[in-house]
Amino acid sequence: MNAGARILQVCAALLAVVAVPALAQDEYWYTRDNTIVPHVSGDKYFSNTYDDWKDEASIRKARAAGKQSRDVNFKDFRWLEKSFDAMAAVDEGKEVFHRKNGAGQSCASCHGENGDKLKGAYAKLPKYNARVGRVLSAPTQISVCARERLGVEYKENTRPNSVLDMYIATLADGMAVDIDVTTPGPLKDAYEKGKNLYFKRTGHFHFACASCHTGSTTSLYIRGQRPSTFFGDAAHYPIWHFGFALPGDDTASIFTLQHQIKSCQILSRMLPGEEGSPSMTAIEVFLKASANGYKMSIPTVEYNMSTDYLQKQGAQAK
Amino acid sequence: MGWNAYATSLIAAGTRVMAASIAAAVLAACATPASPPAPAPAPSLTLEQKHQKIRANWTPGGPDFIPADTLTLFPCHSEELPCGSMAAPTVQKVDFKGPVAGDAKKGEAIAINIRYGNCIACHNLPKGHQGGTIGPSLAEYAKRQMPVDYTYQRIWDIRVYNPNAFMPLYGTNAVLTGQEIQDVMAFLELGK
Repeated sequence: MNAGARILQVCAALLAVVAVPALAQDEYWYTRDNTIVPHVSGDKYFSNTYDDWKDEASIRKARAAGKQSRDVNFKDFRWLEKSFDAMAAVDEGKEVFHRKNGAGQSCASCHGENGDKLKGAYAKLPKYNARVGRVLSAPTQISVCARERLGVEYKENTRPNSVLDMYIATLADGMAVDIDVTTPGPLKDAYEKGKNLYFKRTGHFHFACASCHTGSTTSLYIRGQRPSTFFGDAAHYPIWHFGFALPGDDTASIFTLQHQIKSCQILSRMLPGEEGSPSMTAIEVFLKASANGYKMSIPTVEYNMSTDYLQKQGAQAK
Repeated sequence: MGWNAYATSLIAAGTRVMAASIAAAVLAACATPASPPAPAPAPSLTLEQKHQKIRANWTPGGPDFIPADTLTLFPCHSEELPCGSMAAPTVQKVDFKGPVAGDAKKGEAIAINIRYGNCIACHNLPKGHQGGTIGPSLAEYAKRQMPVDYTYQRIWDIRVYNPNAFMPLYGTNAVLTGQEIQDVMAFLELGK
């Protein structure tokens, strides 16, 4: 055996000893080692409050027993209240849905008047698009469909795209989220990738999404904000949002799930991703699949605008 | 954290760094032309170069968020970009002897600004600044009489004490300069 071959052999042996998984160079938030299941009930391994918000009846019971938003993972106002303010955006989405192009075609030409054939579709998005060859979230699917079928540009992060997203989401209100990430395939791969990205530490502050949104931080304060865990919340996106403009965003009143991810990235000094990119879509798949089995609630309010608790405090003071 | 746990975590951090360097050295020595192409090289800048790049076009504490092109200096979510395959920053152990030579007024401005140090996001601070509750209250931190080198290291790179901590890597990731960390320490009434 010559010296070169011997060195290679030693190297191979050494490599075998220090062999590390493909993503070992990344630093992950430690709760990634907890049991993570693609179902809303997986919250029991994080905040362990699932029994108090698994359905509307449980939320009402918990609230009647004096539990606050923080005790029910902030699900109360998102599932017990609908947003009146969002209706203008929903109506605008309906108008865009029926808007005819030069050839007299509209979304309704294929998908039915008032979206009859899209009922419940949003609860199964994102999904794999064979023609494009990758997993697409709803805004990207809208963009692709409009370009291919209608010859119009409704790119992600533009007004017609976001109002359409909101309108189509309302057609799945009340349906349970159902993203199949257990059958081997592109959707499962996207889920695994999104899970890794969710727990990966990134950016100027070296934070992961999970730094704020896991069990140990739920109900605590980040200055005035109080984070929830990553279970269930994806079932109420897109949301109507206060006038809070992201850079380059002209749809400040509608927040898609990827707008939300981007907003979190900007506030925690991570590189903001591009809406519709494979990485952002993977994170969305992870979040949406973590809401599997939970009912969609669209359009919902963003913050708890209820002042009941003030009256309760007043009553106690008397 | 007790001093035993502190020592254990120090050793753990050291072992991690050592394992990483051995792996890197072995990989470098064993690289052959036949091996698959390496991911696009990520820029490897010194800490000073990072500070210069970040602050050339951005003033922390001003009205603007940190520019996105600066954030490619650090690992990111976008697997489409070189920063998506960038390794996590190496743990930095620093040796601060003191005494703290900082300006408490500047430190206060740094600590309570979301686009500067943003300590207030997680901590209550001296002078009645009510902040978040993720971290312990620092309103009376000086009374705990922690050694200044411990506090400096905690702010610079907390992973030396606790790899799972929530704190940003203020020194290692060029969020604050050494002088600014001392300003914050002066605000915490650690100056003499």
